[in-house]
Parts: sequence; C-alpha cells; structure tokens
Amino acid sequence: MKRLEQIPVKGEGRGNPLARVFDELTNFCRSRSLFILHYCTGCGAIELPPAMTSRFDMERLGIQPMVTPRQADILLITGYVSIKTLKRVILTYEQMGAPKYVIGICSCTVNGGMYWQSYATAKRLDEYMPVDLYIAGCMPRPEAVIEGMRHLMRRIENGEARGWEDYYRRYDHYLGNQQALFGDDWQTPTDVIAEARHYGLLGEQTLGPHTELLQQVQRPLEALEMRLGHGPEHES
Amino acid sequence: MEGLRLFSELVLMPLVAFVVGMAMVLMMRRIAARLQRRIGPPLLQPLYDIAKLYAKTTQVSHGLIHDIGIVMAVGGYVAAEILLPVPGMNGIADKADLITLMYVMMVPSLGLALGVGQCANPNGSIGIARALTAMLGYDIPFVIVVFGVAWHFGSTDLIDIIGRQQAAGPGGWGIVQMPLLAIAGLWAMHASLGKQPFEIYVAPAEIATGPMVEMGGKFLGGLFVMQCFQFYTQAVLYVALFLGGGSHWIDLLVKAFAVVAIPMTIAFLFPRYRTEDMLRILWKWPVMLGLLGLAFVM
Repeated sequence: MKRLEQIPVKGEGRGNPLARVFDELTNFCRSRSLFILHYCTGCGAIELPPAMTSRFDMERLGIQPMVTPRQADILLITGYVSIKTLKRVILTYEQMGAPKYVIGICSCTVNGGMYWQSYATAKRLDEYMPVDLYIAGCMPRPEAVIEGMRHLMRRIENGEARGWEDYYRRYDHYLGNQQALFGDDWQTPTDVIAEARHYGLLGEQTLGPHTELLQQVQRPLEALEMRLGHGPEHES
Repeated sequence: MEGLRLFSELVLMPLVAFVVGMAMVLMMRRIAARLQRRIGPPLLQPLYDIAKLYAKTTQVSHGLIHDIGIVMAVGGYVAAEILLPVPGMNGIADKADLITLMYVMMVPSLGLALGVGQCANPNGSIGIARALTAMLGYDIPFVIVVFGVAWHFGSTDLIDIIGRQQAAGPGGWGIVQMPLLAIAGLWAMHASLGKQPFEIYVAPAEIATGPMVEMGGKFLGGLFVMQCFQFYTQAVLYVALFLGGGSHWIDLLVKAFAVVAIPMTIAFLFPRYRTEDMLRILWKWPVMLGLLGLAFVM
C-alpha cells in the first residue's frame, strides 16, 4: 500500500506532451555530466587525486573538476568544517547554480568525527545546508568515493536528488542554525528569499522568525572601493 | 531554387561544424586521458555537458552586455563557418575572402571581452587581458602565414586556393610548397586554440579559468559550443590553406582531425608559459619561420 505522502495531490500542469520525455532526457544529461567544486577542508582531500587520475579516473563517469562555484554542480566538502570555514562554504553554496548537490565526505561532516569535542568545529553539515550524500569513513577510499558518486548519479537520473529545493523551502530553518553559530548579524551576498520567490520555491518555512531577524539587520551590499597601490595598513 | 540551396547551406554548415567540433573536443579529452593513462570520457560526453549546462535551473546573468558577449562569441564563429568552404557546400565563401574570415575569427575574443567586463570579477578581467595579449601574440605569425599563402596562390579566395591545390595534386599542396609557413601556421593555430603551453588565459589553478570565472549555466554552455566551433574552424582553415582542402567529406575529416591531434598531443605534455614568455616565443620562432617562408615564396 502506498504511503499517503507519495500520492500526488495534483499533477504538474504542463501543456507540452513531450515535457516528460524532455525532463527525463535532462535528468539523464545531468547525471552524466557532473562538475565538482571540491572545497578541500580536511584530510579527505587526499583521496580525491587518485579518484580523478589514472588509477580510478572519474572522467569516464563524466565527473570533472571545475574551479568556480558558478560552473559547478557538486560541492564536495572533504573533511571537518570549522566555523570560520563554514561561512565560506555557505557563501560558495549559495553562489552555485541550481540544480546543485552537496556531498559530505568523511565522518567529520556527518557528526564531527574526531573533532566532536572541538568548540570551533561545526558538527553536522546538514544543519546548515541540505546534503544530498554522505560518504562516511575516516577517510573513505577512492572506491567508496566513486561508489558514492554512482549512487548520486542514479538519484539524479531518477529525479530524486532535490536537496537544493529544500534550502529554499526551509530557509528559515537553515538560517536559524547559521545565526546560532555566526551571530545575529549574519548575512550573505545572495538574496535567497528573492531567489526562492523567483523560482517558485517559496514554502511555508521559507520565511519565519530568523528571516525576520535577517531583514532587520541586513545591510545592502556596497561595491568595494577601488584603489591603486597599497592599502592603508602599508602606508608609513 | 538557388535561394533555397543557399539557405539550407547556411543552416547546415554551422550545424555540421558543431557536430564535428564536438567530436574534436571529445578527441582532445581522450588524447589527454590516454597520455595520462586514463580511459577518458564516454562518446557523448561533450553533448551531455552542453545539454546539462543549458538545462540548469539557475542562470545567473550579470546584465545585458554579458548576454550579448556570449552571443557575439558564438555568433562570430557561426559567421566564420559559412565563410569556410567544405565539400559540396560553399555558403557565402565566394562573396567574401580570407581577409574577411580573419576579421570574423577575431570577433569571439572581443565578444568574450565585452561579456566578461560586465561580470566585474577581477579574475575575469585578468583572464580577458591575457586572452587579448595572447591574440596579439598568435595573430602576427597567423597574418604572415595567411599573407604568404595568398601571395603563393595569387588569390585570397578560399575556393580558388582549394581548387588550385586539388588540381595540382598532393605535390601542389601548401604544405609541400611552403613547409616553413605550414609549421609557423600550425604553431600559431596551437596558440590560438589556447591549450598548454599557451593556456595563459584559462589557467584554472592561477586565475580560476579567467574569462569563464563568472560563467555558469547557459553562459558556460555557450562557451562550450564556442570551443567546438573554434576547433572546427581552425582545423578546416588549416586544411584549406595547406592540405588541399577536402575533395569529399571523409578526406576533409581525416585531415582536420589529424591537424587537431598534433597540437593536442603536444599540449598535454607541457605546463603553462608565463604571458611574457608566450609572447617572446610566439614573436620569435613562428614569426621568424613565417618570414623565412615568406622570403622563399616571394
């Protein structure tokens, strides 16, 4: 018997009869072409070169490294995330183009790992951004990394890897956790609420007490001052 | 009837160029993989990449000029394809000549410069400055080579140049008649493809892929399409100038793929030059070879 949540309330109202075929084709292409942005925070990074180079060759699965968040599909967090690092990880994640996927490699992203008692380490990555896949281990071998990638590819092909929508739908939850860690004046350059509105992903939990706090303290972005030569700290 | 034929040629020529260009990109990636003892990407990988990039949900545009820049980058090469005669299709090659083609082939770099300028990313600005500097480097030997070929055949008409080489047989090919210019041309082509060691404006580890740094989704997809066109244009132009064009499609494709394979095989064995080193080597050796070849031709 089907569970109640699985029964669709209403079909997606798309007039084009080929829309379904087109969606499946798109999902197939998405699953076969994954550009990874590896944010190498910890020891797990050492397992990636063998996964990419001649021994295990991830390119045969269509996975290749990219260097900027705009170009990438997968954000690969390899190891422990300190609180200072987490700010950069969130900035990077918000700049990536959807559909985007986050993979947490190593135990440290799952539960803090050996840094469980550290005051400066974020314990669970999925409290701050939706994680599509964890690859546990300390550290996972390249075989495990590739097996994890194949698992993600299957989920993308079936249209199941939709963690990025969750970030828009439950932004208040994620923002609350971020504020608890970084303080009440935390803000990022990306206007997530406006994006959620633009893509029609505004859920019941997108707005809440934490986004209200954000809108109170939010300052508009200012352009960096352009100047030649050394900064003021070098003047003497 | 004539109009219909011309129209179908104008549609077909860029389309064929795109498909062949994707195969060339695949070949480049396979060559890189084999040189590094890897297996390399599957057959349709370039297509998957482009389809995926165009299907991205988020398309971050930085403004109108950013959009137009990408259109110029792709459009410049689309215009170049219809000026390049291939077996059975001349497009509008009889109405324009080699000089027009050279001008059109510079448009993509300028379009990219416009588009990247609006992204306001310092890495992008550095990248595009380097790309235009590199253009200054490889265009001088390229112009010398084109001038030499045009002088030798007494014409700037590509159809005429190909026709004369095919009438004379392999002994009359540009590569036999003007070997020095052919070497200089291959060198300039290698530099203009922007692969190692002339990769100064991409430089992923240094300036985060330079002009591509703020490009995501369909913008990066447009640049991937541009790369396919770039490979095809350079290879087919080289074949037309030095290898007698193609008498039929198989002939042309074998020659074109061989022409791309040579610089790619060299490329992945090398790291990257610095900007000033690249200019020094391009203004010294290919220019010297080109001028020497020009002296022999004249």
